[in-house]
Amino acid sequence: MTVSQVVFILLSIAALGGALGVVFARNLFRAALALVLSFVGVAGFYVLLEAEFLAMVQILVYVGAIAILIIFAIMLSRRMMSSETQPWNEQWVGAVVVAAALFAALVFILSRVDWPATEAQVPADSISQLGQALVSPDFYVLPFEVASVLLLVALVGAVIIAREQ
Amino acid sequence: MILLWLILWLLSGGLLAWLLSRWRAVWARWVSLFFTATYLASLVVIWILSPEAEEAGPGSWLIDLNLSWIPNLGINLHLALDGLGLLLLLLVGVLGVMTVATSWTGAQERTGFFHFNLLWILAALAGVFMAMDLVLFYLFWEMMLIPLYFLIGIWGYENRVYATLKFFIFTQAGGLLMLLSILGLYFAHGNNTGVYTFDYFQLLGNTVPLATAIWLMLGFFVAFAVKLPAVPVHTWLPDAHTQAPTAGSVDLAGLVLKAGAYGLLRFLVPLFPEAAGRIAPAAMILGVIGILYGAFQAYGQTDLKRMVAYTSVSHMGFVLLGVFAWNPLALQGAVVVMIAHGISTGALFILAGDIQERIHSRDLERMGGLWSTMPRMGAVGLLFALASLGLPGLGNFVGEFLVLLGAFQANVPIAVLATLAFVVSAVYSLAMIQRVFFGPNREGWDLPDASPREMGIWVVMVVLIVVLGLYPRPVLDTARPALEALQEYAAAGEHVEVEVGEASWLGSTAHGSWDTAVDGVDGGRP
Amino acid sequence: MEISLPTFDFLVVAPEIVVLITALLVMVVDMVIGREQKGRLAWVALVGVLAAGALSYYLWDGSDPALHDMLAADGYALFLNLAILVAAALAILFSLEYTGRVGLAQGEYYTLLLLSTAGMMLMAAAINLMTIFLALEILSISLYVLVGLNRAERRSAEAALKYFVLGAFASGFLLYGMALIYGQAGTTSLAGIRAAVQAGGEPSALLLVGLGLMIAGFGFKVALVPFQMWTPDVYQGAPTSVTAFMSVGAKVAGFAALGRVALYAFGDLQGDWRWVLAVLSALTMTVGNLAALRQANLKRMLAYSSIAHAGYALAGLAAGNAQGTSGLLFYLFAYAFMNAGAFAIIIAAGRFEGATGGGETLDDFAGLAARKPGLAVAMALFMLSLAGVPPLAGFLAKLYVFGAAVRGGLIWLAVFGVVNSVISAYYYLRVVVSMYMREGRPAAVPAPVCAGLQVGVALAAVAIVLLGLWPGPIVDLARVAALALLGG
Repeated sequence: MTVSQVVFILLSIAALGGALGVVFARNLFRAALALVLSFVGVAGFYVLLEAEFLAMVQILVYVGAIAILIIFAIMLSRRMMSSETQPWNEQWVGAVVVAAALFAALVFILSRVDWPATEAQVPADSISQLGQALVSPDFYVLPFEVASVLLLVALVGAVIIAREQ
Repeated sequence: MILLWLILWLLSGGLLAWLLSRWRAVWARWVSLFFTATYLASLVVIWILSPEAEEAGPGSWLIDLNLSWIPNLGINLHLALDGLGLLLLLLVGVLGVMTVATSWTGAQERTGFFHFNLLWILAALAGVFMAMDLVLFYLFWEMMLIPLYFLIGIWGYENRVYATLKFFIFTQAGGLLMLLSILGLYFAHGNNTGVYTFDYFQLLGNTVPLATAIWLMLGFFVAFAVKLPAVPVHTWLPDAHTQAPTAGSVDLAGLVLKAGAYGLLRFLVPLFPEAAGRIAPAAMILGVIGILYGAFQAYGQTDLKRMVAYTSVSHMGFVLLGVFAWNPLALQGAVVVMIAHGISTGALFILAGDIQERIHSRDLERMGGLWSTMPRMGAVGLLFALASLGLPGLGNFVGEFLVLLGAFQANVPIAVLATLAFVVSAVYSLAMIQRVFFGPNREGWDLPDASPREMGIWVVMVVLIVVLGLYPRPVLDTARPALEALQEYAAAGEHVEVEVGEASWLGSTAHGSWDTAVDGVDGGRP
Repeated sequence: MEISLPTFDFLVVAPEIVVLITALLVMVVDMVIGREQKGRLAWVALVGVLAAGALSYYLWDGSDPALHDMLAADGYALFLNLAILVAAALAILFSLEYTGRVGLAQGEYYTLLLLSTAGMMLMAAAINLMTIFLALEILSISLYVLVGLNRAERRSAEAALKYFVLGAFASGFLLYGMALIYGQAGTTSLAGIRAAVQAGGEPSALLLVGLGLMIAGFGFKVALVPFQMWTPDVYQGAPTSVTAFMSVGAKVAGFAALGRVALYAFGDLQGDWRWVLAVLSALTMTVGNLAALRQANLKRMLAYSSIAHAGYALAGLAAGNAQGTSGLLFYLFAYAFMNAGAFAIIIAAGRFEGATGGGETLDDFAGLAARKPGLAVAMALFMLSLAGVPPLAGFLAKLYVFGAAVRGGLIWLAVFGVVNSVISAYYYLRVVVSMYMREGRPAAVPAPVCAGLQVGVALAAVAIVLLGLWPGPIVDLARVAALALLGG
């Protein structure tokens, strides 16, 4: 077992354990903290894949912004802070069956796939290349612009939902 | 263009009637009368101007109109008229005028919409009898459904909503199966020849393999059998007839049922001659079952309109029998039955409607002894009951007798069974007259006899049924070229080698029984 | 470092840009005008939508330009643009009075409506998994908010939440499928995926699983069984004008992307996906129709009916031939008019005094023909067209897709469709029965109908009659559009 495999397993435990924590925690605040753990685990994967920039973005955006916002929201609303929620409902058996079936099917199929892998090394200046690709008309400027529309939509939507009647 | 104008004339008449009724309801009646009468008049002119049968020869089309409609789907606005179509259009015209006249005092509510529906039914029927493009045919076929649905649903009697739904679902189901068959034929033909078309004349003589053709043919058969109606898909008819207002019943019995018969004649057999040959014995047996079952059911009814409705099932059984016997005699007989039944049953429904208008009941138990108070209506009723039982000298006899002759040539046992019809129809017809007009006047009815308007309707109907009975030649002459053409289409479409030359089921007029005919087709297949 | 200005042919996405700019304009105007003038926002939105429609039509010169493997303005996209813009324009006309009556914030309402229209149009134009996903999210997020816009109504919020949760779930499926496809093809461009599909002899499991997950994701958007659970609650809970819009627009957009992915990118694997779509189609129409039979609430009934119609339209896609594709396009176009029109009548009926069911139940429609003959005729036309009765548009659309299915060898599917049409006739006719053959309760007094709604309903009714009687031009357009996608 190579070092990277060991690291991968540890990161997986962090990411999946965090995700399970989010689902099973009775206290919302603890669930939010578990979410942070999960996000950090995913960021670790990016490092492992030599995508340091993405790892940084992951930490900055998901941990630094989203998770913190969620925690803020929980702490600011008293009722949610104190209450213990019940993470189970009466449909959990069916959900487990469906999820397990889907998981088994995916594992079965994906384990038989001959994964195509590129031999190419990750370029040294990947960050600047990424930056250029995002604004180059030959690459991703169009999705970039469309994504900005998406952000606008989300913004407008959020304002409408949050506003008092 | 005249053919398109005929349809548009009725459609615009309906619209105008609806519009004008906003100011005065009675205008709707006059407008409808004017439009149906002019429609009838122009058809009579066409009839008179049409060439004699001898000159015409088989396959001669009187008028043909073919306009491009949706070219890239192979759909054309193709209307054409031959003798068969012309006779049925005339029937549409006659009964159209009659229905407007008979509902002159009825339909007090929403009079305009009533006449709108009435004229649109007639227009759609005219389209059905002229359409030579299968999609166009289907379009008119379904189009007559909607106004009829409103007619029964709005102005019908107590149980109308149930009756309309049943009627609609049955006919819609049949129609959609036909649509599937139309599509199947379109593609089967297109794959074979590379020509994708819905045009009737191009689809004649298609070379669809027999196994496919049987399925396609069954789709058409179900649609037409529902409309006809043939047992066992007749169950919508008694309900619809009983609940419909008089005009609806007349249109339904006199015209809409004919559309089913017409479809069998025009489309089913010529398009799928071999496949039709395969089911012919079964279809003829269904016809006989219809004749007898309808008669027995009619006898057992206590509702006058329901009773007449079941007689329709019985009479239309003759048409089914005649069409599938598919020899000149039987076909001519079937056409005459169609027309005679349109007139006689239409008249009986008008009678039932007039009685209901007076005593507000259709219950036979409450009638009886009406002759003494309404002798004129009684006489008319008796005449049409006699027509219905097939009294020689009246129209129905000519048709039913020809059908029996033809069927006898085709299949003796079935023809013999069908002959029983004369007995049973005598029973129910006389029972009907007995229960309505004779016997004691239990409820002590004292009713006004037929008004001049009603008498006018009766006189026309009586003259028509008597003329058809005594001198059917003009009708036969008009129909013959068209029927011969249909037989030729079918014979040309039957491409299987037949061992014994004349034993093809289409050609077997003299002595070929159904068994040998079918064997012949069978034997021809490798 | 050299910086070159991007060379964009903005004309390619001009219709989308016009709609987006109009959305921003509505937002700005909303801030400066007074409270009682908010109604004018609708006209701003309408002008933008019409301009985009005109642009879409005039851009269509057969050159089928594309922007860097991301967006295309080919005939396929432009045709679907027309259908989407029809739905948007009708929805705006139907909203004129409704938004005020229900108390929806008009500025936000029209902004989101336009943004989601833009999302739908982008989705129709998207030729890259990335743009497909972004467009889908734009339209979905705007719709989530629109569905929940009626703050006064609890069901509206519940519907929004339900739609959001399940929608996010579906987005997850879609994304997962895209990731698998990317993993195999190494590109997100549909043209690249097509090349990868064509290259390999034996189709890779990754591609197939990816396609399957994408079908599930799109299936949610267009409400295919078994991804249809949300539909009745969301359609019923949403403001009716939003339902009218989303029941058409979201379906058109979903089918647009599904069509592109299946027919274009995976065109060479037809044998693998056709039967899946055919089975889904049969299931969808059957479940939708059987459920619709039992509904007394018209919005719910139409929700189930829209599920059934997704099934019919899918039959065109499952046919997998050019005729099926143009049939699908024609179906969506015709559907836009008849379905939006039907919801418009419900909007009008909501104003009737004494309409205990909020204008949504069959009882509220009883005797409508006597008191509002115009509305009743229009509603009857919509119902009959949805039922597929000739000569209306719905008939021709069904003829088209079922014909394509027969041609594609899916005769059993056509039989399913026909049987379903008969079943559906029952519940559509119940509405007609109620309007024409039942007496209205004296309490339910019809209120005057807003002129904009009248115009919209009249346009939709005329359109379905014309599309049925004289479909030539639109059929031609649909064929050209289908060929633009399939090539040749």
